Amino acid sequence: MRVIIFTWEYPPRIVGQLAEYTSNLSTQLVRNKIETYLVTYHPYMTGLTEEPNGVKTVRVANPVRTHIGVLTWVLTLNQEVERAAANIYYQANKSVDLIDVFDWHFIPAAVILKNALGIPFIYSVDSLEDHRSHQADMPFNMAIKSIEWLGFYEASIVTAKSGWMRDEIFRIYQTPKEKIHVISPSSSTWINDVLKIYALAQGGASRA
Amino acid sequence: MKHPLNVMFLTWEFPPRIIGGISPHVFYLSKSLAENGVKVHVVTCDFPGAPAHETLDGVEVYRVDSYRNPSPDFATWVYLMNLNMQKEAATITARLPEKIDVFHAHDWLVATAGIGLKHVFRKPLLVTMHSTEIGRRDGLHTSAEKMIAETEAWLTYEAWKVICCSQYMVSHVKWAFGLPDDKLVMVPNGVNLQVYENIRKHDLENFRKDFGLPEEKLVLFVGRLVYEKGAHVLVNAIPKILDKVNAKFVIVGSGYMKEQLSAIVKSMGLERKVLFTGFLDEDSLLKLQCSADVSVVPSLFEPFGIVALEAMAAKSPVVVSDTGGLSEIVEHDLTGVKVYPNNVDSLAWGVTKVLSDETYSNRLRVNAFRRIQENYDWGKIAQQTVRIYEGVLGEYSKSFWA
Repeated sequence: MRVIIFTWEYPPRIVGQLAEYTSNLSTQLVRNKIETYLVTYHPYMTGLTEEPNGVKTVRVANPVRTHIGVLTWVLTLNQEVERAAANIYYQANKSVDLIDVFDWHFIPAAVILKNALGIPFIYSVDSLEDHRSHQADMPFNMAIKSIEWLGFYEASIVTAKSGWMRDEIFRIYQTPKEKIHVISPSSSTWINDVLKIYALAQGGASRA
Repeated sequence: MKHPLNVMFLTWEFPPRIIGGISPHVFYLSKSLAENGVKVHVVTCDFPGAPAHETLDGVEVYRVDSYRNPSPDFATWVYLMNLNMQKEAATITARLPEKIDVFHAHDWLVATAGIGLKHVFRKPLLVTMHSTEIGRRDGLHTSAEKMIAETEAWLTYEAWKVICCSQYMVSHVKWAFGLPDDKLVMVPNGVNLQVYENIRKHDLENFRKDFGLPEEKLVLFVGRLVYEKGAHVLVNAIPKILDKVNAKFVIVGSGYMKEQLSAIVKSMGLERKVLFTGFLDEDSLLKLQCSADVSVVPSLFEPFGIVALEAMAAKSPVVVSDTGGLSEIVEHDLTGVKVYPNNVDSLAWGVTKVLSDETYSNRLRVNAFRRIQENYDWGKIAQQTVRIYEGVLGEYSKSFWA
């Protein structure tokens, strides 16, 4: 099985806790015989690297340097994420089984790759705009929420880290609960739970 | 080619959505390509009342829900619209029985969609640069302007070929983005001759009466009333022209200089000789262009100068300032008269010369119309465009993407 992980932070670039989580996840996936690629952002350390843990990372920079906000930065960066993933796909003889996307940033790239090349994706939720910017309903927040909504709508499977988050996704976005799976990072069966979900989503699981 | 060429156009405007010059350009180019055996799929923004999908003269038009995402500002809206446009275009491309051979983007407004489609489908991307941010703003002053200019640079970097509509724009774009010569190609804008042919069948004598007396020559200006279009140069030349010939000056268009221009006319006591029509409906505009004894394009800055082309198609003699794209469209003394830009005396001389010598002006009309048929006919422009596509596909077939 060949999987690509999309995350906007990954060591050595650490912003929050997602960097450590995706680092740990990709290491465990390789140990479980999953061919693991990871596409992430770095301002200058770009290109393909095989990490000591066996994960193949592709770091991309933003071709547009001047920005008026995080949204324009994210949306332009997505084209480079898309390009990196398309390169992996074509070099692997057009076979990528699954993309696992962490949070909203690279949802646009995953949605295009799904519709263009038929690669299914999992939307792994770490946090939601509603919680990050509580009661903020400015066009800026609404635009981010519209991208989160697109992710929930287009994803084969959504994963949340707790039952509470699963209820929140359902409350805010009306995503069917059967589509949202809880994977607790503190559970002793964590990596096996992840592998089960991957097997379920591989080849385009039904939209529950 | 084994199968007919399959091209996907990306454009943020297509009739009935008309914002600027891209809309008619893409409309006529796609139509003419279809007449030349190319299958064209146009993906564009939606418009109230226009269908989400229709087939127009063999062109497949898809309109994307472009206001789905709330946006804090125009530039962010553009990038979000590109997400929706790319999603739609990707879905269409993946489902088509035949493969898309080339993606063709028009301006930065569809930059990220075009770049993304190129990489996911591994097909060549072409771009037509109709304008540039640095040209529109006369420099880059804000973060938004710099961001747009960098997006334009990225688009031209990703494009296999960059098409411009005049040699002036070729050199401007080369300077703005530091592009190599062999990446740039000039294909002019076109004009639809049939539209003017149909208008000439109407009773233009009667129509003309609404604008001038039978003994008055009709001098026409069409354009936005803004500084760079130079209407003020024409207005200041009016007394000098009236010294020699009896004429009526019809000024079509609106803009921030309108009141200033009327004030100048009033101060000269020439209200009866000058008519400001404001923005005019298409039918009246076409009729006016066909009725004008001279069409004046006194621009101070002009990337292309489509108005001069339209006047020539309408068989109206033209007087243009020798600048930008206008310098290329008109050949002095042969297809029109060129005058010094921003020079009242020179402009008055040119207009007077055309109005007072009928043999001369008729010669200009005939030559100009022939020149339009030779160089600015959409059918020929489509054939030129097809040759560019075929050249690119020839190179592409030898690449590892093929």
